[in-house]
Amino acid sequence: MTSSEPKAKKSGGGGSEAAEDGDWSWALVGALFVSTSLVFGLMRSLGVFFVEFVQYFEASAQAISWISSTGLAAQQFFSPLGAALCNAYDTRVVVMTGGVLAALGFILASQATCLVHLYLTMGLTSGFGWGLVFTPMVATVVANVTRRRTLALGLGFSSIGIVSFVFNPLFQFLVETYGWRGALLILGGLSLNIVACGALIRPKPRSKAPEKVDSEKSSSSSSLLRRLSSYLELPLLLERPYLTYTAAVTLLNVGYFVPYFHLVAHSRQVGFSEYEAAFVMSAAGASDILGRVASGWFSDLGHFRLIHLLSLWTALAGLFIMLLPISSLSGSYSMLVVISLLYGFCSGALTSLVFAVVPMIVGVERVMGAIGLLQLIESGAGLLGTPLSGLLKDVTGTYTASFLVAGGFVVLGTLAMTTLPHYFSCSDPPAPRRRSHRDKDKSLHLELEQINCAPPDPSHGGGQ
Amino acid sequence: MSTSWKQLLFQTVLLLISCRPTQTKTSGPTPPPLVPISPLSTAVRSVVLEGDSHTEKVELENPVDLELECVWSGNLNNLPNVTGVWRKGGDELENSRLAVPLENEKYHLRRVFRIVSEENLGNYSCVFGNEAKVDFILAAPQMGEVRDKPIVSYVGDSVVVVCKMEATKPKPLSWNWYKANGTDKEQIIYAAESHQYEIKDKDWTSKLVVHNLTEADSGSYHCEAVYALGTTMGHVELKVITLWEPLKPFIAILVEVVVLVAAILLYERSQSKKKCSGENGTNAEQSNTL
Repeated sequence: MTSSEPKAKKSGGGGSEAAEDGDWSWALVGALFVSTSLVFGLMRSLGVFFVEFVQYFEASAQAISWISSTGLAAQQFFSPLGAALCNAYDTRVVVMTGGVLAALGFILASQATCLVHLYLTMGLTSGFGWGLVFTPMVATVVANVTRRRTLALGLGFSSIGIVSFVFNPLFQFLVETYGWRGALLILGGLSLNIVACGALIRPKPRSKAPEKVDSEKSSSSSSLLRRLSSYLELPLLLERPYLTYTAAVTLLNVGYFVPYFHLVAHSRQVGFSEYEAAFVMSAAGASDILGRVASGWFSDLGHFRLIHLLSLWTALAGLFIMLLPISSLSGSYSMLVVISLLYGFCSGALTSLVFAVVPMIVGVERVMGAIGLLQLIESGAGLLGTPLSGLLKDVTGTYTASFLVAGGFVVLGTLAMTTLPHYFSCSDPPAPRRRSHRDKDKSLHLELEQINCAPPDPSHGGGQ
Repeated sequence: MSTSWKQLLFQTVLLLISCRPTQTKTSGPTPPPLVPISPLSTAVRSVVLEGDSHTEKVELENPVDLELECVWSGNLNNLPNVTGVWRKGGDELENSRLAVPLENEKYHLRRVFRIVSEENLGNYSCVFGNEAKVDFILAAPQMGEVRDKPIVSYVGDSVVVVCKMEATKPKPLSWNWYKANGTDKEQIIYAAESHQYEIKDKDWTSKLVVHNLTEADSGSYHCEAVYALGTTMGHVELKVITLWEPLKPFIAILVEVVVLVAAILLYERSQSKKKCSGENGTNAEQSNTL
């Protein structure tokens, strides 16, 4: 059962062909919106539970914070696995399974009797489920939406900010009415909606199928390894453009999130009140949402290359991060708010673009594995960034050094991006194609299309 | 021998004269007795009045000689003398009304109060004429962060109810716990006697652990911090519910997800059916099997 709009799915060649993004593609964007909100939006709003856990389990705040660290780490670690499973099997089934696992994690967590149970359920199980959901959903949207790709991603990711306005009071209400156990059970139910999002993904004929047909020796370990490495897209790690881009994004990740962790504490330290500090955070959060959508819309107008826009936003974000402590040195509250707004806008703007650039570098077919590996590698940066900024604060006494170093890393990431091949040309280079036997590819596709009752895609076999 | 008898008589008479029972008042602080007893520590609280009235909270945990001082800068027409009076709980204290002279543009009213028991706590006011007043509220240390939202727990689970005194304030001597059942009747909880309750007191915190909850355990739990001079109360609500309560919305969401997934899959199947039957005739047999 394939999609009824043949032009909507573009799997061959670069996305530069002006394909119409049909209604189903926008249903996919809606699915991305909901699933991203249930993964990252949920993760960000768990603070309400942590207060309850500290009291019930009589544990320290640090021990409790490991729960969400484990969840995030599991999501990023299992991303390549999720990508590989999608390459090997059906994306729809993988995402639906991920949704069930994420829900199961929370349902089991509601029965926890000790802290370790929470690490294993809310952390590991749900994190594993999230890993099976996020990368496949993003890669599916990237592969299926071509003309308005960045806008689609921007809209999908804006859910994180928008939904946190809803989740925080909702979770507070749930905990007050049902206690943390009942609230976790209900969250598990909410997470099941990811399964509905996964159902919206339609299976399509995999161009990886020829790989299976090619290797006739089915159960020897070397062919297994070769298949595994092709599912995980490991050869990508040997390609210079991909490695450069991954390095740039990793450097970016070390620093670009630091303000969200430390802005409130820094504002308080400079001398502003609790409400003023909280307002600065909310302002940055709101402009983040705006930045995601606005940058998505603007990038799709096509006036500039995506990679140039991305470097612009990252450079600006790095600059504003470095300006944050300097603006508050002057003691002016409005300066701090303005710089935070600008920082929020730029950091939101760059998140829409980070994944949209990937198909330009590796080709649309390999996007699934590419994003999976990218998530895994950039997770190391997250592990480094926050403790480093905390350490700098402990050593120097103020947050100035933390912000300057964080901004420095972001600017370094921008510089790394400029070393991508064809960076300084005015048009996108042709996207690389997967090297496969073209003839076998074509004939197999014709067979598959007949079986699946779709009209033969005229542009598929011959797209450059 | 007659002189020693005279001496004895004289001493006895002297003893009888000096051994007069002292008058004690039932309300208000005891005025300093004629015979000095063991000295208490002293504390001073001074308030400079700006405006007409002011309220000052004073927290005391041990018996003390408390000097309260009110300083008033007066109004436009400052008379050389103004009537100052001390009140406790609204009643004027004996021997406390006196004329306060103006010194350096200010009126000073001072008095030392001996605080030794719970009766001595309360609301003391110094009043200048009929115009200015300072209220001193003497009390045992009050509890800081008391959880105002009810604790929700489940039947069969155990729960920890916590009462905390701020660490900046003195440590309570002991704690008591009471349970109220909706009506105002409070019953003290004896942890030693019951299998269900456990009380853990540590420094500034007291924790009541209730095991094997049942719905009857819902209600208001009051903790009492005991000090030498008095006690402070705090209370926490406990609500015990069965697992069925959160299960209701969970099942509703589950049904919603199942319906959505079924709808999406059915819609997709009907779309491809349309395609199959509408297009190549060679695929007619396949559309029949779908």
